[in-house]
Amino acid sequence: MDLDALTGCLVTSACLVTQTTSGLIIGMLLFLVAVGLTLIFGVLKVVNFSHGAFYMFGAYFAMTAYQATGSFALAMLAGAIGTAIIGLVFERGFMSRVYGRDVLMQLLVCYAFVLIFDDVVRMIWGPEFKSMGMPAAFQVVPLFIAGGVVPPYYLLLIGVALAAALVLGLGLARTRIGKVIRAAAHNPGMVSALGINTGLIYGGVFALGGGLAGLAGALAAPVRSLTPGMGFSVLIESFIVTVIGGMGSILGALVGALLIGLIRSFGSLGFPLFTEGLMYLFMVIVLVSRPSGLFGKEVA
Amino acid sequence: MTRTRKPGISRRTTLALMGAGAASLATPWVAHAQAKTIKIGMPTILSGRVAQLGTSSRNGVMIEVEKVNAAGGFAGRQIEMVVRDSKGQPQEAARVARELVNTDGCEILIDAEASSGAFAVHEVARDLGVLCIHTNSETSSLTADPKQHIPNAFRTARQGVHDSIAGGSYAAAIAKAKGLKKWATCAPDYAYGRDTTGEYTTYLKRFAPDIEIISESWPKLFQPDYTEVVTKILQAKPQALYTCLWGGDLTSYIDQANIYALFSQMEVFAVNMADYTALTVVKNLPKGIHSGNRYIKTYPATAENAAWGDAYKAKYNEYPTNWSWENATAIMLLAEASKKANSADGKKIAEALKGLKIKSPFGADGTVTMRAEDNTLVGYAIGWGTTIPQEPYVPEVKPGDWKTILELEAEWKKSKGYT
Amino acid sequence: MSELQAGQGTALDVRADTKSTRYRDVLIALAAFVILALLPAFTGSKFLLDFVIRCAAYGLFATSLNLLVGYTGLTSFGHGMFFGLGAYGFGLMMQKAGVSVPVAFVSTLLIVLVFAAVIGAICVRLKEIYFAFVTLAFQMLIHSTILSWVSFTGGDQGLRGGIPRPPFLGIDLSNHLHLYVFSCALLVLGLLLMRQIAQSPFGYTLRMIRDNATRASFVGIDVYRAKLTIFVLAALFASVGGMIMALFVSGAYPEFAYWTISGEGIFINMLGGVTTFLGPMVGTVLLLILNDTVTRLTEYHGIVLGIVILFFAIGLRKGLMDFAWEWYVQRRDAAKERG
Repeated sequence: MDLDALTGCLVTSACLVTQTTSGLIIGMLLFLVAVGLTLIFGVLKVVNFSHGAFYMFGAYFAMTAYQATGSFALAMLAGAIGTAIIGLVFERGFMSRVYGRDVLMQLLVCYAFVLIFDDVVRMIWGPEFKSMGMPAAFQVVPLFIAGGVVPPYYLLLIGVALAAALVLGLGLARTRIGKVIRAAAHNPGMVSALGINTGLIYGGVFALGGGLAGLAGALAAPVRSLTPGMGFSVLIESFIVTVIGGMGSILGALVGALLIGLIRSFGSLGFPLFTEGLMYLFMVIVLVSRPSGLFGKEVA
Repeated sequence: MTRTRKPGISRRTTLALMGAGAASLATPWVAHAQAKTIKIGMPTILSGRVAQLGTSSRNGVMIEVEKVNAAGGFAGRQIEMVVRDSKGQPQEAARVARELVNTDGCEILIDAEASSGAFAVHEVARDLGVLCIHTNSETSSLTADPKQHIPNAFRTARQGVHDSIAGGSYAAAIAKAKGLKKWATCAPDYAYGRDTTGEYTTYLKRFAPDIEIISESWPKLFQPDYTEVVTKILQAKPQALYTCLWGGDLTSYIDQANIYALFSQMEVFAVNMADYTALTVVKNLPKGIHSGNRYIKTYPATAENAAWGDAYKAKYNEYPTNWSWENATAIMLLAEASKKANSADGKKIAEALKGLKIKSPFGADGTVTMRAEDNTLVGYAIGWGTTIPQEPYVPEVKPGDWKTILELEAEWKKSKGYT
Repeated sequence: MSELQAGQGTALDVRADTKSTRYRDVLIALAAFVILALLPAFTGSKFLLDFVIRCAAYGLFATSLNLLVGYTGLTSFGHGMFFGLGAYGFGLMMQKAGVSVPVAFVSTLLIVLVFAAVIGAICVRLKEIYFAFVTLAFQMLIHSTILSWVSFTGGDQGLRGGIPRPPFLGIDLSNHLHLYVFSCALLVLGLLLMRQIAQSPFGYTLRMIRDNATRASFVGIDVYRAKLTIFVLAALFASVGGMIMALFVSGAYPEFAYWTISGEGIFINMLGGVTTFLGPMVGTVLLLILNDTVTRLTEYHGIVLGIVILFFAIGLRKGLMDFAWEWYVQRRDAAKERG
């Protein structure tokens, strides 16, 4: 424990800015993964334990596209769209067969695909870790804001994640498709009775959630090393985020992700050896006091 | 990145075999099924995040086994390697090791496990009395602690404490020359990271007493994001940073620290940087990172070492790793010991191994020695230099002084109560 | 493992318990133990003995998980923490306190009892998926504590240097054969006890809670207390599995307390089926055979294992024993109709 370092940081503006932004960075990338998880749970009522694999695919697709084309924008697109397609196929082909069944069955189907996807990546890209490399446009000196350090690439990352949050939030609240999705989440029987293809909605939501995880993987690819199985730790963290925020709540995912980001950035100052433990502890406390999470609907 | 495909059983073969449902016919690592063969079992990690550890260890072993077999094997018996995946789980490593001996009839074990797996296999070796060579675990206590000692287990890997003494003395010299007094450390939070960092700072302070450690970071092993660690170090404003992150963790860290321009603000000492797995992967490798050698074909700067590195690259289409040479050394030592004992019997080989000195491309002076007193390898090439972003990556390596290393190691053992 | 399957006919019988079924269970258990104990006389294969020891460790763990999942409807994702606690408690007791094996065994059970009571008291209030989450969170908390508390647990390297096993009552657990018989005894005894729990009135209370907790509380059952009791009991049996594992590898490692152990337990249950008492035991044997053969043949065992899981989850849609049981019931009913 090093509480002096923590209190020392809280009263220094440079440290406060840097650590807060670093918490935001960690949080926003986490949010992109977690929001897909929470969206899928909210509409389809399944916990997608293979969500980390989508993040992994996003990163590998982005790296391959970047090496082939040299275009960062295309790499991001490849990560998001490629993964969305996998999500669609996965949902229509497999997950749709276990809806309404025991949660264990859903878990096992996901687990099976985590194993399969990891090995597929190992077959295609090899077992060794890889790096995509930072595009030249972002290899610039970091910005200094109120004495704190902020790299431009991370500003882009935060921007993209915020944009995704806004589009999702507004889209679900205001658009017709959003209303249909919410209706399908609430009462799928009624929606299909109205002649709307719920299978299409489910597939679409899964593709969207997977695509967002893929986008997160693509955005992470320039700064994180790529290995088979890289999705796992991200899955665990985004899982904690959704549980804290409340399964099914997009706002919850945002708040949960930022909280975890801040716990990490400030926890590493105060409790360098127990930063990870802090997250689990926080999750236990939230679950015990509010089982449905901070923004989840009360469970009956 | 022009490395195309990994060696060994190709994915196409595997796919084809599985596709045909004929997986049971695949016995890829049973290379020489002759009557008089001697089987060597090798539990290692072939899947998951550190699969590279196992594949490059296997490559290191196979390249030497082929040479030994061509020259007649161990006392006339051809070697048959049986390599199995432990998935990096200690209980699986123990299980696989037992099975290799009890069911497959392996007479020697090459334990190419990391950290905890090595200790699990060590217990199997204790239990079954089989000759066992640990090839990957650098944890000093595995051989230094007399409580762990068994006469049938040896280590052909680097040892953490050797590395730290060499690294500490190198860094102290630079610290004195450049006036680097404030240091930060960043190490993965597991036994290797903790021990190595502790030993390194001890020797750094011993050689340069006015040094102060002002910040410590302990990210988790395989942590994907180091942002909070990078910014924490930037806040502390040290003049130098020591890190023993390795592999994909190190490259992630470099990529993430790069965009904070960390490398322009302090001298960085990354002991595991000068390994091809990291050097060839990082796209924007900063110039001037201080690193210890892991495996690099230009150090020792001998024709033998360069030839070995090139032969490996030609065969497997990638450069050797730190683990490759450590595993190759195990076979080289075994072959020499079996020649000396004129036997393929594990007990006789074990006796012959004690104190055995062999010619080696990886030796600091062209030889390496299996030290008799604690069954661990000494005299291997150990040195430090600074990186450049293209081949040969570390143009000049300053050799560590084995005399100092051994003296201080003896002192360290005494302080730990090991002698 | 035919001796285990031999017990199916009765084990599958879920009619109310009577004295006669209890006698029958005891007899079957005795017979199973005798067969297992005589096994080394017929085969010198150390591999087979190792296999049975591992079956004992995982089998007790998986069957205890079934008490929660199958009988009570409590889907725990964190049951592996008790497997790990058992291994660590026992190993630490033997290494640091230097006590005899029975003392270490009993005190480990007491430690696990306390842990399970505290964790259970918090967890069983929650329902369904939230129960699963919070058990998983506790598991991760315990796992990261084991990793962080290096001076006590040895951190990621686990308990090194071997677990001392001084002989007691003429039993020397460092002898492979003794360890084998000891593990078999624990397995059979553990299964027998769990079977008695499952067939007792308390066991039927659990089924009632699983089927309809609200109705159960209306008829005066203290649901919370019943859930907590079975949570603690299951934890104790799981910890015995952990202790066998610690003896087998002569150490304890953080992996024993990791979520993957819980995941394997769930997978075993699904493989074997949760509707029959011996389903998890059959699942254990299946998974271990699968694991041992597939890792032998290919390093891409993830794909193979994944496809097998899919076959069970989407193809069969149930565990092997569920399948066999349904087939048996259909045949029996068909025979009745004909007769």
